[in-house]
Amino acid sequence: MVSYFGNIYRALSTIAIGMGQTWKAMFRPAVTLQYPRERWELPVNARGILFMNADDCIGCNKCVRICPVDCIYLDAVKAAPDEDLGKASMGNPIRQHVIRFDIDMFKCCYCSDCTTVCPTECLYMTDEYENGVYSRDNGIYHFSKYSPEEAVALRLREKEEDERKAREKEAKLAAKQKAAEGKGKSAVGA
Amino acid sequence: MFGNLFKKKRYIFEDESTMVVDLDQSAGRYYEETMSKLEIESYQGDEMVVNMGPQHPSTHGVLRLELVLDGEVVKKVTPHIGYLHRNFEKHAESISYNEVVPYCDRIDYLASMNQDLAYVLAVEKLIGLNELPEKVEYARVITCELNRIASHLVAVGTFGLDVGAFTPFLWAFRDREKILDLLEWLSGARMLYNYIWVGGLARDLPEGWLQKVREFLDYFEPKMVEFNKLLTTNHIFIERTAEIGVMTPEVAVSYGCTGPVLRGSGVKWDLRKDEPFSYYDKFDFDVPVGEGKFGPVGSVLDRYLVRIDEMAESVKIIRQALDGIEPFTAQDVQAAIPKRLRPAAGAEAYVRSETPRGELGFLIRSDGSDVPFRVKSRSPCFSNICMIDDISRGGMIADLVLIIGSLDIVLGCIDR
Repeated sequence: MVSYFGNIYRALSTIAIGMGQTWKAMFRPAVTLQYPRERWELPVNARGILFMNADDCIGCNKCVRICPVDCIYLDAVKAAPDEDLGKASMGNPIRQHVIRFDIDMFKCCYCSDCTTVCPTECLYMTDEYENGVYSRDNGIYHFSKYSPEEAVALRLREKEEDERKAREKEAKLAAKQKAAEGKGKSAVGA
Repeated sequence: MFGNLFKKKRYIFEDESTMVVDLDQSAGRYYEETMSKLEIESYQGDEMVVNMGPQHPSTHGVLRLELVLDGEVVKKVTPHIGYLHRNFEKHAESISYNEVVPYCDRIDYLASMNQDLAYVLAVEKLIGLNELPEKVEYARVITCELNRIASHLVAVGTFGLDVGAFTPFLWAFRDREKILDLLEWLSGARMLYNYIWVGGLARDLPEGWLQKVREFLDYFEPKMVEFNKLLTTNHIFIERTAEIGVMTPEVAVSYGCTGPVLRGSGVKWDLRKDEPFSYYDKFDFDVPVGEGKFGPVGSVLDRYLVRIDEMAESVKIIRQALDGIEPFTAQDVQAAIPKRLRPAAGAEAYVRSETPRGELGFLIRSDGSDVPFRVKSRSPCFSNICMIDDISRGGMIADLVLIIGSLDIVLGCIDR
């Protein structure tokens, strides 16, 4: 009997202590934010959506190689020998046309590895975090400064260049062979 | 004659032995399909099979429990796992050593720092990198212990939720939010940090961060007292939890349980003390174990109390680490990061470390390339969930919910 009432007493008294704590909490300012109207101030290095400054990219492919989920797609075309593409803002010479730089933000795991390896610091994470879109295709961000037509033209140019080089090489090889054959013949003749 | 034919079923096994099962004895066709054939005989007619989960608020993730119930009494529990399997181990074989770190974050997403540390320590052992700047080591300890507090706050908060106490859950998350803010300031992300790298840290400590950690600790300690007044000392809560889910030390050890689940049973085993990694041997702290003040040792309440006490110990460790890091704040945290990570062929390292959920081990084997040949992770939650059948037999369904809560499982950690 004593333990029964003792139990009741202990239960009631500890509940009263707990209620005292909640009573105190009622007079404290609220810690919640009314989200769409109020926003949390993010720290300077917050990791949000990736952004690439196309003017500074040198097409070094480092970000593509380090990405653990392979969400960056980069295609670059070598500049012609007489073409000057200028320098990136860090001083690195640009030697390639970056005709495609796509980031699939739905695949991205926000690990920020790509931004640490970027030599020109043109790839960085913004503090933007609301990237909900209506279609899956809209999650792929295109950063290249070349239009699709320009990209096709550059690709064609590169192809032609490659073919021309291959032809030249072939011709050189053929000439060499011919010379060697001629030498061999003359040697046999002697 | 035909009635008899339909009610009995003959099973023929591979070794051509046969078994006849009377279907009248089982609870219908469902048994026949889901249970293993040999078990059917042992069930009584008034038992019922119920699936708890995978979409259930109190299974703490996508865990499916197959319960055999007699009324409200649990006769048998079979956990079915694998709903969150992400193929970590196989995937790690195709990416370089550094790229595995973001995947380690996702093993146990409530304590990413501790997972990162375990993996990074294994890689450092593999390449023989023993000397690190003091600042790196102290910062690792501080972040890991902060993350331990955050993880335990989720554990005790959701445990309160399982009992039916909603306010403590909100209070725990309010304090956890402060830790997440600190870690976000540090690394840029709130939960998946990718902060601890092989040989160093991803970023330097921001200016004034250590001071903010100190302020947080000063804020947190009185809040813990309030939390205890609200929930831990509540007599109804104690009466509800003190005598259920009792796990004897023998059971805990034989199943390989670790962490607060093992210590709740009264076994004093903490890798931070018994096999110190990083700088843990430099700090003075206690290892809380379950004492069974209100009932048998190893009850659900003991595991809860161990977590509460561990938070206080973590605060102690962080305070010492904050004092220790003071002379080294000018050091470069990326000084010791290896330029090229290519361990020798055939090198192998196993490192285990104490995460909030127990002992996490990584076995890494190298074949001489920059991609690991094999990464095996020993997850604490997997061992901890295995003994759920042992400790919940004979209890009520409502007790089972508490037992799951007290084991503090993270399904990402179980399935990897």
